Amino acid sequence: MADASTIRPADRPRRSYLYRVLEAGGANFMEINGAAVASDFGGTAGDELATARGMAIADLSPLSRIGCKGSGALDWARAHGVTIGGSNNTAHLQPGGELAARLADTEVVVLDGLKGTGALPHRIETEWSLDGADGCYLVNRQGANFWFMATGAHAPEMFAKICAVDLRQAKFPAGAIAQTPVARTNCIVIRADLGGVPAWHLLGDSASAEYQWGCLADAMGEFGGRPVGIDALRRLGARPE
Amino acid sequence: MKILNCPLNGPRNISEFVYGGEVTEMPDPNACSDAEWADYVLMENNTAGVIREWWYHAATAYWFVAERNTVTDEVVRTYPAGALFKERVAFGPPTEEGGR
Repeated sequence: MADASTIRPADRPRRSYLYRVLEAGGANFMEINGAAVASDFGGTAGDELATARGMAIADLSPLSRIGCKGSGALDWARAHGVTIGGSNNTAHLQPGGELAARLADTEVVVLDGLKGTGALPHRIETEWSLDGADGCYLVNRQGANFWFMATGAHAPEMFAKICAVDLRQAKFPAGAIAQTPVARTNCIVIRADLGGVPAWHLLGDSASAEYQWGCLADAMGEFGGRPVGIDALRRLGARPE
Repeated sequence: MKILNCPLNGPRNISEFVYGGEVTEMPDPNACSDAEWADYVLMENNTAGVIREWWYHAATAYWFVAERNTVTDEVVRTYPAGALFKERVAFGPPTEEGGR
């Protein structure tokens, strides 16, 4: 568990879209790759880990992510070292812990790992050039999308209240992607378990970040769900079961 | 809730989709008459039977084609627009004789 935070998101050039909501909820912050990320919500490490196993949401919006789009997007990304699956709506783990989510024949999104180094998204951004684009164009997912994670055994029941796609484990295995409305706003949902605990990335319009956070908080209330920080997610991921 | 099968995302609630009109052949905008262009843009054939329609999956901004029976409202099949449109349409500059 992190010590009482002295890091204020307002002092950092990169912070979450909903940092005011997180602060009001009692979040402590840590600096990751120059950004203020909610590390915990004041509970003990054991408490937050237990919450994450049952039902929790976490905000990863300050972490790096980038998209490649265009008729040559998949070929360009592969040529630059990104492993992409053979079918749409599947995500593949990268050697550095990042995730490459293939959304279509013409689009892939790369999410940073929980270490938050930002190395792969940064490398993609620096290696891309207009002259060498070859049908691939970068999409500013960092500015366009919020990025949450929902974890825990009760998460499928929580999602069933706000999303029409069946996200239960048997129907929606690890690596599966659904691009569909969640609480009536369009989202990308990616199954990516952490240490044996079911977990889903959730990306959507950044302008709807506070709305979506509120919807998730409301929907998970009956399952004892609470927000957790990235500390709890890292601990989940570090403990394969 | 009606279910429509998106070629990219699979079966989804009809509320995720937007109707985009009938798929018709576009006349050459530089060669056709104003009446032909107006017919293409504004008029519906109103065919009774299986027709091809544009549909849009809003969550993925994905356009595709559906074949739907307008009498029974049954969707026969759906497929990517690339199955019909193999090449990008090049719009040249307007000519004196053609449209403006």
